[in-house]
Formats: sequence, C-alpha cells, structure tokens
Amino acid sequence: MLDAYQESLLIFFGINLIAAFSFYLPFKTGQVSLGQAGFMGVGAYAAGIITTKLGLYFPLGLATSAVVSAIVGLMVGFPALRIKGIYLLLLTLGFGQIVQVVALTWDYTGAHNGFQGIPKQDNLLLYIYGVLVVIVLFFFRLERSSLGRAMVAIHGDEDAAEVMGIDIVRIKLFAFSIGAAFAGMAGCMFAHMTTYVDSLTFGILLAVNILMFVVVGGGTTFLGPIVGTIGLYFLPEMLRTLREWMELIPIEWTENSEFLTSAYDWLYDFFDFENEKRWIAYAIIIILMMIWRPQGLMSRDLVKRWGRRLTGSRA
Amino acid sequence: MLEQQLINGLMLGASYAMVAIGYTLIFGVLRLLHFAHGEVFMLGAFFGLQIVIYMTGVEVVAAAIMAIESFLDVKGILLFFAIFGAMIGTGIIGALVVFVAVRPVDNKFPLAPLISTIGVTILIQNVTIMVFGGTLRSFPASIEPVRYQIGDLTIDSVQIFILVTAFALMGSMWYLIEKTRIGRAIRATSESHETAALLGVNVNFIVLFVFILASCLAGVAGVLDGVKNSNVSPFMGLEVAVKALVCMLLGGLGNIVGALVAGFLLGTVEILSSAYLGSGLRDFLTFSILITILLFKPTGLFGTRVVRD
Repeated sequence: MLDAYQESLLIFFGINLIAAFSFYLPFKTGQVSLGQAGFMGVGAYAAGIITTKLGLYFPLGLATSAVVSAIVGLMVGFPALRIKGIYLLLLTLGFGQIVQVVALTWDYTGAHNGFQGIPKQDNLLLYIYGVLVVIVLFFFRLERSSLGRAMVAIHGDEDAAEVMGIDIVRIKLFAFSIGAAFAGMAGCMFAHMTTYVDSLTFGILLAVNILMFVVVGGGTTFLGPIVGTIGLYFLPEMLRTLREWMELIPIEWTENSEFLTSAYDWLYDFFDFENEKRWIAYAIIIILMMIWRPQGLMSRDLVKRWGRRLTGSRA
Repeated sequence: MLEQQLINGLMLGASYAMVAIGYTLIFGVLRLLHFAHGEVFMLGAFFGLQIVIYMTGVEVVAAAIMAIESFLDVKGILLFFAIFGAMIGTGIIGALVVFVAVRPVDNKFPLAPLISTIGVTILIQNVTIMVFGGTLRSFPASIEPVRYQIGDLTIDSVQIFILVTAFALMGSMWYLIEKTRIGRAIRATSESHETAALLGVNVNFIVLFVFILASCLAGVAGVLDGVKNSNVSPFMGLEVAVKALVCMLLGGLGNIVGALVAGFLLGTVEILSSAYLGSGLRDFLTFSILITILLFKPTGLFGTRVVRD
C-alpha cells in the first residue's frame, strides 16, 4: 500500500503536526514558546527510559512522556506567567538550551554519545494518527467552548479578560502544560521512529520550525497548524519530485530541437532540489508568505466566511 | 593562569558584545528580534576570508600590499582591507534585509517580521553553503603573531589587534548614538515612532540606518572571530546569535552600554566556567543566568531603555 519512503514521510508529517499543535495551544492564550523542541526532548528521553532502559511497553512510554512533559511544562509555565512577549520567547529558548545541556551531560542516557538503541515501534503510523485524531477533536470542541473563547480573550487583552472574571492563571497554565504534553508525545514518537536521539536532535532550529508551521498556517484557528505543516513540510519534499515530473516528458518532444534539448538540460540541472536549493526555495516561500499574509494562511474570519458560504446563510 | 583565561574571556566577549549591540539597537527601534543577525556575523567572516584569499592570491595586489607594509613599517594591512570590505558587504546585506524582509512585512502582527527574518536566516545560510561549501574553512594567518610577555601573562599581537579594533568600533558606536544628531534621532525613534516622526525624524531611514550599522558591526565581529579561531564555517552564526541574545537581555533591552558590558561579562564567565567547571556546565550556567535574569530582573543588569508595552 505505502512504500517505506511514503510511510516515513507520513510519520514525520504527523510528528511535526503534533508538535505544531503543541505550540498552538499555549499560543491561543498569547504565550509564544520557543521551548517546544525542549519538551519534545523531555518526552523522547522519558519514553526512551521507559521502553529502552526498563523494557516496558510503548503505550506506557507514550503516556509517561505526556505526563512528564506536562509536569515540566507546569514548572516552566508557572514562572512564565509573570512575563510575556520577547521575555517569554527568551525564557523558553533558554529552557530548550538547558534541556540540550542536560541531554549532553547525563551519563545514564548516553551523554554525548546520544540515546542509542531505542526500539523501533511497529504500527507507529496508527499511534500517531490516533493521537492526532484525539488532538483535532479536542481543538474542534475547544474552539466552540467557553474555555476556547476565554483563551482568545486572554490573547486579546489579559487585563480585560481578568476583569471579566476569567481565571487567567489557571487557563494559561493549562494551555502551557497540555501543550508541553503534546510536544512530549511528539518527541516520544520521534525517538521510536529514528531509534536514536541526542542533544542536537531537539535544538533551536526544530523549535523555530515548529513556530513557523503555526505562524505561516495561521494562529487563530486549529486549521492553521494543519495547513502550515502541510505547506512547510510537504512543499520542500514536493520540490524534490520536480525532476521526476520532468522525466515524464517524452524524449521525442525535445530531441529534434537543439534549443529545447539545452533548455531541458538547463532546467533539469536547475531542479536539483536535493540540498541547499530546497532550503533556499523554502526560505523564499516563507518570506513571501509573510509579506502576502502576515496573519497566516488561515484565519478565523476566513473560516467563518467559508462556513457561511458552505451553509448558504448570510451574515 | 587566571589572567590568561581573563584575556580569552575578553576575546570571546568582544564577539558577543559586538553582535549584542546590533541586536539591542535593532530591538530598540523596531521591537524586533532580528533572527538573521548571527548569519550576518557569519557572512562577515566569509567576506573577510574571501578578501584575504583574493588579495594574497593576485600577485600585483599582494606585491602592492607588501610595498605599503614595508613603507609604513607595519604588518597586517591586509586585515584592515578585510575588515573594511566585510563592513561594506554586511552593510549591504543589512540594507537588503530591510528591503526584503522588514519593510514589506506588516508589523501589526508581531510574529510576522520574526518569521520573515527566520526565513532570511535559512536563506543566507544555505546560499553560503551553496557558494562556499558546507565545511570548515581555514582563515590564513595574515599577521605573524608577536608574543609579548607581561609577568606571567602572554598576549600576542593578534589578540591585541582584535581587542583594539573591537573597542575602537564600539567606542565610536557609543559616540554616534549618544553624541551626534543622527544618534539622537535613533534614540527618539526607539522611544516612539509616532513622536519621532512628528518631530521631523525620517523613521524609515533611521530603521534602515540602524540595520546597516548593526550589520557592519556584526560583520567586523565575524572577521575578528575568523582571525581569532583561524577558521570559518557556515554554521558559526547560530551559537553567537543565541549567546548575544542572552547578552542583550543581560544588559537591558535597548541599552547599548549594557549590551557591551554584558558581552564581556558573559564571555569571561563562559571561559572561566569551562576552564574550572568543565565545558558541559558552561552553557548550563549561561542559560541559568538568562532564566534568573528573566524571572527576577527582566530589565537587565543595567536597565532597559525600552518601555514595556
């Protein structure tokens, strides 16, 4: 049904999407976190200890990664209540770096040799998309609940929300630690896919990528992270297939004309999107996206408008 | 031994401080975390390297440089060319960043300019890898280091050169910001774009100018770092960028002198902690400092100039 490449593509897409959701939940309350990669690392190491060091089952490892990450999330989220904006960005960035240092120096999990020999999990695709279905349902319900509206209110104006009687401390902490739990599960899945993690796996670049998935996709509706992750994860992969598409052009079309042959060769060379060029294209797409739609591809207004058009009702 | 480590700390701190000053200037006028600043630093090192390679490679130029050096009886003229060229190069890059990723992006959405500068980061890094290759490249030694012995302390001419250049540049930067007309305009823009514009400051120009200034400084820091470590790589930007962020915060957002002092402070702390506590604990200490400052004194050690909004 699926070959190994397609399956791994879907698995990593799912992991990235869970990670994007983990950023999206605290972001709903206005908390911008560069620490999601750090929480992924916490989850990966926690689950790795359960399955590799203690030899227990994968579902237990998954549950442990969620619980441990949620607790660490509370520990980071509580002091983070006091600060916002760039200060919170820097705090979570510092947290991510500290996770890396711990991973690099903790002998029990291999220190600088990395955490090796994590068992590869069968049916990981099912686990990932099972978790994703639960997460999507959670957000679908959340955005239609008073809790979801309270989160949007906190994002808009914290003081006004507090005056309205919203318990901002509890809601912000809830969002931050559940978000951390999502990230922890993503990290656990990642570790049981690659069978090896080290301190560099969950670095600042991963955290930045997660942030980009959500901001490019749009941070006001749960469709945003989905669209953003599809766009930013599959787009670079799709660029790699441009050459395969070119190879479908029959050779008779170009062989009679010298110009067409050279044009074909030039284009074929140009479409060498294996390494740097792929990233250059990716970067250009991101910059253009931010110029074109700084609020992200999907926004709540857009979704509402589409919903009205679908149901045929008028506003 | 301790004095020797202090000198190493100062050397590391010079890089941090020069990058952090750029960060803090840009944050001051735009409230923007300029993510690509570390890559500008890296580009500076590559520009400097290319200039040195070119000038020692072309015979006529190399001979002319030799003649000038023997005429003036100094060494290391080449490095001045490298620094000057890198400054111009990174200045242009800084201006390009403004035109490509800052001006066209609506900053009503605070994360959008951040993401577009992250895009620039990826762009610069991969273009550099494509053009120069993704490996470590050695920086040719262009000054023969002369060692000086002061008591137990050894310091060589390269180190002196780096420290003098860094201090001279940061000093002139301080003068520019605090004592000149355009510096006053920059400070006014940092307080409020609207008020500055009402008072006749061309805010768009000031933003452009600040980006160019900050990028020049980062470029020079890159060249000096390349000379100091005698190698450059396309991946050298990230670590300095993160550490300089810590320095910016430590010194107080928007505070130039604060960023300078914090840069040297952090450089010294890092060298001392890796010398006496082991290098694993170095980053742990650095980011613990970051978090402690954030939680207990978010205005930094020397006070912030940015009004919290």
